[in-house]
Amino acid sequence: MAPTTRTCVSPFLDPGPRTKANSLAIVQLSRDNLLPVYLQVPNGEHDGYAEGAVVNTRYGSFPHSTMLDVPWGSQIRASKVDTGSRGRKRKREADDQACREATAVSEKDEEPSAAGADRDGAAAVKQAVADSSGFVHILPPTPELWTTSLPHRTQVVYTPDYSYILHRIRARPGSTLIEAGAGSGSFTHAAVRAVYNGYPAEGQRKGKVFSFEFHEQRYQKMKKELSDHGLEGLVQLTHRDVYSGGFLVDGKSPEADAVFLDLPAPWEALPHLSRRRPQDMADTDGAAAGNGQQSWVSPLNPRKSVYICTFSPCIEQVTRTVSAMRRLGWVDIDMVEIANRKLHASRDRVGLNLNFDRGVNNSPRDVEEALARLAEIEARSREQAAKPRDADADEDMDLADEVGAPAKGNEARNGEHAPSTEETSTATAPWMEGRLITRGEPEIKSHTSYLVFAVLPMEWTEQDEAAAAAKYPVGKEQKVIGAIDKAARKQERRELLQKQQGGASRKARRKERDEKLGEISG
Amino acid sequence: MHSLIRPNAWVALKLPSGSTKVLQVTPNTTISLGKYGSFPSNLIIGRPYHLTFELQDRLPDENFSRLRVVPPSELYAEVFADEAAPGCEMPAAGATDTVISATDGEEFSLVDDDGNVVARSNREIIDESARQTLTQAEIEELKREGSNAGKDVIAKLLLSHTALDQKTSFSLAKYKLLKTKKYIRRFQVSPIDVANLAQWQLEERDASKILDMRAEMIGLLGCWGNVHFGGDDVLLEDPGATTAQGDEACVPVDRDLLRGRWLVVDDTSGLLVAAMAERMGILYETEDEGAHSSSEEHKEPTEPSAEQSSASAAENSQEPGSNPSVPAPATQQGSDTEMADAQAAPPENQGGKKPREQKPRASDFAIPYSQTNTITVIHGASQPNLSLLNYWGFDITSPNHPPHPLLNHLLTLSWLQLLKPELDTSYSTPPLTATPETLASWKPSRRGNFHRKRRRYARIRHIVDATRAGNFSGLVCASTMDPISILRHTLPLLAGGAPVAIYSPNVEALAAAADCFSVPRRTAWVGGGAPEIEGLSAEELERWPGNERFPLNPTLLQGVSIQTSRARHWQVLPGRTHPLMTERGGADGYVLTAWRAKPAEGKIAAKGKFKRRKVESEAVTPASG
Repeated sequence: MAPTTRTCVSPFLDPGPRTKANSLAIVQLSRDNLLPVYLQVPNGEHDGYAEGAVVNTRYGSFPHSTMLDVPWGSQIRASKVDTGSRGRKRKREADDQACREATAVSEKDEEPSAAGADRDGAAAVKQAVADSSGFVHILPPTPELWTTSLPHRTQVVYTPDYSYILHRIRARPGSTLIEAGAGSGSFTHAAVRAVYNGYPAEGQRKGKVFSFEFHEQRYQKMKKELSDHGLEGLVQLTHRDVYSGGFLVDGKSPEADAVFLDLPAPWEALPHLSRRRPQDMADTDGAAAGNGQQSWVSPLNPRKSVYICTFSPCIEQVTRTVSAMRRLGWVDIDMVEIANRKLHASRDRVGLNLNFDRGVNNSPRDVEEALARLAEIEARSREQAAKPRDADADEDMDLADEVGAPAKGNEARNGEHAPSTEETSTATAPWMEGRLITRGEPEIKSHTSYLVFAVLPMEWTEQDEAAAAAKYPVGKEQKVIGAIDKAARKQERRELLQKQQGGASRKARRKERDEKLGEISG
Repeated sequence: MHSLIRPNAWVALKLPSGSTKVLQVTPNTTISLGKYGSFPSNLIIGRPYHLTFELQDRLPDENFSRLRVVPPSELYAEVFADEAAPGCEMPAAGATDTVISATDGEEFSLVDDDGNVVARSNREIIDESARQTLTQAEIEELKREGSNAGKDVIAKLLLSHTALDQKTSFSLAKYKLLKTKKYIRRFQVSPIDVANLAQWQLEERDASKILDMRAEMIGLLGCWGNVHFGGDDVLLEDPGATTAQGDEACVPVDRDLLRGRWLVVDDTSGLLVAAMAERMGILYETEDEGAHSSSEEHKEPTEPSAEQSSASAAENSQEPGSNPSVPAPATQQGSDTEMADAQAAPPENQGGKKPREQKPRASDFAIPYSQTNTITVIHGASQPNLSLLNYWGFDITSPNHPPHPLLNHLLTLSWLQLLKPELDTSYSTPPLTATPETLASWKPSRRGNFHRKRRRYARIRHIVDATRAGNFSGLVCASTMDPISILRHTLPLLAGGAPVAIYSPNVEALAAAADCFSVPRRTAWVGGGAPEIEGLSAEELERWPGNERFPLNPTLLQGVSIQTSRARHWQVLPGRTHPLMTERGGADGYVLTAWRAKPAEGKIAAKGKFKRRKVESEAVTPASG
């Protein structure tokens, strides 16, 4: 695709105000249930649906036509879609086809076209009819939504990790980033957003992600995804094993400012990420593929410090990686582990005079409530006991009383409090009852991976130093900054104050002069 | 950005003690590192970041310390020694150093220059009364001699420790580390970027000033707020308003041009704004020294800066005295051009794009702000507190600012200007007008004031109108104010599907906000459980003022969730890998995330079978969650 003639920006980077056809949208079914959908313009029956393409969920059926050209974030009502007869029809068709295939194999070639023509004939798209209940929301794609909804191919780098990584490796608009182990592409999408500063025109250098994946199938799927998402000019995906192949693209250096390695053995890839040909690499794997013996080209930006992050689940990997980094001259090596927790805010509803809804704990709220209830039961049983009764029945009653006391108490309480609940519902709405609490989720990702961060300073030679020394000669130092003692600071302050006063008087003088000038000219 | 240390750049000096010193590297000064010594600033200017420098001993004929770049092989000499096999006694590099090396997994030994073992650890005996034989005076003497960047002191200290041979390998390593931190005369220079500055603020300055916002939180806020480069600059055409024209000459806000804008409420002294600006590519000034081959990195921000420089040049000429370096004749010249310009303004100002050379000055009502890729800050005080932006060369209070990318991408307005602009004097007072003749008769200072007020009027008018036009791409907050009240007034301004990310140092405030969008509340709202909203239009519902039962319209946000993140740092050393014992910048923080929804009009019910007992939580399937 020629990037210069690009008219449509990736929906990840600028989704525009409304949903568009042939573009990715995220359908939010429930809070954490997201479904990526490529919206299609309905043209004729699709997959047996008269309405064209339809998204079927447990929350209803949603023809694409109802989700097209609406503002992002819109709540979409479910439609009445005939799913039942479609199923039967398809089954019949399948049976037919099976028969036909069994009888006449030669007919098979014509079959799809015939069916196609059939559908074209019935091209009139059925208008979607709103259902009485059910809805979803349609959201613009972001790396976060994509990460939670993407088709898993490998372990995914989730938002808590990638947000921290991108912050630490200084991925900024205009940066060039190397990513090895594209995997499922969650990090790729987040990285593109971070480095994006416009699509590059011909020969222009803009923020870009150089992504490497050695698994053929994942590479193909990723390639398709990137083109579907309009990220082609911004991500350069290469199918390669970086351990042996290194990071050059078409023999040229990507000039990376930051590196992210999600590989099982980062230390094998690290030697390729050097400023100069590392010594031991020549021994181990000789001429690294694509890197000629004579001219070793570094894939790193020679004019900047380069930041790196490696992502490894095991501590042994970390130890080897860190050791390799130290030998290759990386500094500021720091290993961290991110623990992310989601919190759920809810109402903790405990009390005797609450209704029997789900999530309500119908036990006493506090000691007072428990006491009141116990006293009540006690009083009632005393009342009962006081009533003159037949002796046999009385004994039975006592037994029944003891066993059934709580239930009875409940009933009595309900009977008594039913009207008062009605009253309170006007005062306190049910959603405002109880104490507001936050709780962690029952299942958490307690360990994702260890992140190793490091920095590789730019190369600094004797010549560079000599040039800098000539440009900034020493010996003309006037004052001291940094950790200076109190007396010196006070002295400085005094001088500064004097200067300011002097400045002010100069200002006043100038003002006077200006006014004079103004008078002359006016 | 950040390739070489430039003159007058703000940098962070990392000292062996682990502390950081943030200062501006002024050329021709002496930088003092306290007990570690001092050196001329010119020795680090023009050098790369992240190198480790060592203060060398003063040469006999010089009165300052020169610096030496410490190669990584030397930095990690001890670790390499640890890793080394028993066979090779000497580490590959740093052969001149006295290092502790592991001969096997258990025992550590101190080897001298010739590779002789001078001390050996012994696991059996741990002497509690281990002590240093060197007296304080002797140590001071050694320090004064200060040879070999403190390494001699450390070696001597270790050698004169009576119980050194009784220390375990671990305590020996620790002892050496302790002494190294204290005496080694090394430092490293890091650039001041958001990550470094935030860490410094958190660990060494006032953490409460930035609401204890740690790096994890900055990362989460940026990602969940979907903050990114919002498109190439689009500038409004100069209306070419003559000085006699008033309000009618203002450029109207064009909603279609407004894209890639983020709304911010920042009580972190500007750290949040800086973090967002960094993500949007508008925080750093471009480096003019052509270290970069990437031309467009310059190209994008130079255009606005050219625009701005002309504006500030104009201000220079109109406000004599504000720039003390301008000598008297120049001032006169300035007022001359100002007069000429004022008269010749209308014919000159046509077309948005003008040539760089001798560009005619923009008229008073020209809007300097880009329509895309902007940050709009709403502040509670009459002036925004963005003091931390000073570290990136941006001073919001400076009237005529040197070029900076934030100048035309950062818009600030107060809550009063947003919510009740008619009460704000600078917004509601109509602009001054004067015919060119009258203007020419005025004194320069009065004329300068006249232009300044008109410019301010046009800018505020634009900021307020553009903000009220809404359609923001996202909302990011880190505020001490109640998030519910912030959401009430900002939710209507967000575009559909726009993300919301709110940081708070405590979870209660966020929980209260999340509770406004709870499932029962929402169900009651859409299912007719709220008599107070009967008959309100969609527009009125969007601007729902809130009551006790429904503080916010619960249908305006989707997927409300709260999270917290925590990075745990580890020490990675051969045989001694474990999490750090203590960490600074301790307090937790929380982030609330959600998306702006556009609710369907009319009643809407979730799918599912449910008994109609009450307007209650069980009536809801997760569909509305």
